[in-house]
Amino acid sequence: MSDTLTDVSEKSASRTGRRQPRLAFEGRLMAPGVILLAALSIVPFLAIIWMNFSQVRLLGGVATSWVGLDNWARFFSDLDMAANWLRTGAFFVLTVGLEMVGGVVLALCLWRVVRGRNLVLSLLLLPMFVAPVVVGLLGRFLTDSTFGLYAWLLRGTGYTGDILGGKYSAFAAVVAMDVWEWTPLIALITLAGLSSVPLSVREAASIDGASGAQSLRHIVLPSISNVLLVALLIRSMDAIRYFDIIWVTTNGGPADATKTVPVRLYETAFRFFDLGYAATIGLVMLAVSIAIARIFVRLLDQKGLTR
Amino acid sequence: MSAAAPTSPLERGTKSSRTLAWVLLAVGLVWTLVPLVWMLSSSLKSKADVTSGTPKFLFAPTLDNYRNLFSGANDLTPYLTHSILAGGVSAVLAVALGALAGYGLSRTRMRGRRHLSFWIISTRMAPIAAVVLPLFLIFRQLDLIDSVFGLVLAYLTFDLPFAIWLMSAFFADVPPSLEESALVAGCSRWQAFYRVVLPLTKAGLVTTFVLCLVFAWNDYAFALVFSGPNSQTLPIAASQLVTQTGIDWGQLCAIGTFVVVPMMLAGLAVRRWLVTGLTLGAVTGE
Repeated sequence: MSDTLTDVSEKSASRTGRRQPRLAFEGRLMAPGVILLAALSIVPFLAIIWMNFSQVRLLGGVATSWVGLDNWARFFSDLDMAANWLRTGAFFVLTVGLEMVGGVVLALCLWRVVRGRNLVLSLLLLPMFVAPVVVGLLGRFLTDSTFGLYAWLLRGTGYTGDILGGKYSAFAAVVAMDVWEWTPLIALITLAGLSSVPLSVREAASIDGASGAQSLRHIVLPSISNVLLVALLIRSMDAIRYFDIIWVTTNGGPADATKTVPVRLYETAFRFFDLGYAATIGLVMLAVSIAIARIFVRLLDQKGLTR
Repeated sequence: MSAAAPTSPLERGTKSSRTLAWVLLAVGLVWTLVPLVWMLSSSLKSKADVTSGTPKFLFAPTLDNYRNLFSGANDLTPYLTHSILAGGVSAVLAVALGALAGYGLSRTRMRGRRHLSFWIISTRMAPIAAVVLPLFLIFRQLDLIDSVFGLVLAYLTFDLPFAIWLMSAFFADVPPSLEESALVAGCSRWQAFYRVVLPLTKAGLVTTFVLCLVFAWNDYAFALVFSGPNSQTLPIAASQLVTQTGIDWGQLCAIGTFVVVPMMLAGLAVRRWLVTGLTLGAVTGE
């Protein structure tokens, strides 16, 4: 191993000219972390591939029997599954969309104010550190039909239904909880991008007679587009696996109104113990998120943002 | 991101635009803070005040809910211990291995480096549900279900790739010429790394540790599947208060506050580097 590594680094050393062969040392430093990570990711990956061709039984130790492509046949003929994916897509678009808009607006406002910016920013960031399970439970508390604060406020506007009991209201509520938790992240990232727009560029635009809106549209937004891209993609990765809050608040209900793919996977695996089929769902999720991660890395590469 | 940046008239904007900005920020603050303030205040209410049909904005505060957390049948101490152990150990391991591997990754010129970094980041971005499933079978075979060590391993599946990638972003900011001069001055490679480069990334180490700790501390999905009576963590304790017979919301708000406040303080302590951290170095904060 070390021989080939040295060989590679010598080749690249001659390419860069002045560098010493370094890989032997760097390889030694990387080894413990990379080997552990490999054990923690490749072994489970092989296991999930094997599981999706099997029926898995847990009684009296783990036992599997080969079922070939049965799970896949089931996956592609499962109408509920299609509905789960559509719902996941809707969650994805709504949460990420609202978070992007809200986050950018908040960041632009923060950028405008100078005095008190740090304090306001710190207060706005607080939801990010709240455990999702607490967000979910707190959401249930606030929307409780007998003594929830938000339910009480809504009663003032004439709405008397049970928020987490109604199909659309439950969907809206879990979306709102995710938006509450993660809008601050977008604001934080966007603000960092805004702060790096050189003042001189904006001053020049202003001297040339650009209005505030024009300068925003033609100077500010283009120069933070890269940062917005990063924010968008980071949130996207999390939005596909959105699980905890839904599980705690509605468990996928009422009438499947909030049952996204991760919730379905959990239920299939750990309520019905149908692990083979759950593995198939998991593999598809994995493929989707790797595809998105690829786009992420490629776009960042093109913009020269990765190192 | 520093607030005291020199301001031109342009930076400050017109008076009306500043007013609008403050109005929108006020709306944002209300939306953000009301649930948190309500959780905190409800944790200090008596049972009757919590379940009152019209919300009580004025009430006689009591510490009963907090006292009950550590007494009676549902003592929180074991959950707290498991949380600290599982979160702390996995964060320490992630930072230690992540610093070594991150340095190697940031300095190596090896062919396939890009593939290696992509693989590392993709393990971080894998859907939790798809990781939990095979790990569950493996842990069952290895008898790691319901052990704190199992939780540590489970948390490393997301903390370790995060730490490697993030530390490599911090190391990339340290100019390689520093190690080169240390080597010229007679240091070994290890000494150059340990004595010269590592101290320069103190902020990176602290940020990585805090974020790894927050992720592990807040985890619910892994703990739900892998833990049992001997390893259950605080998020599980919170969710267990939800029972068929009714929920003690005052107590729940107390647990919530108790779980959330330490992570908020830790998070705000590393705020300056949060952007770097949460975008994995793709956007630098300054």
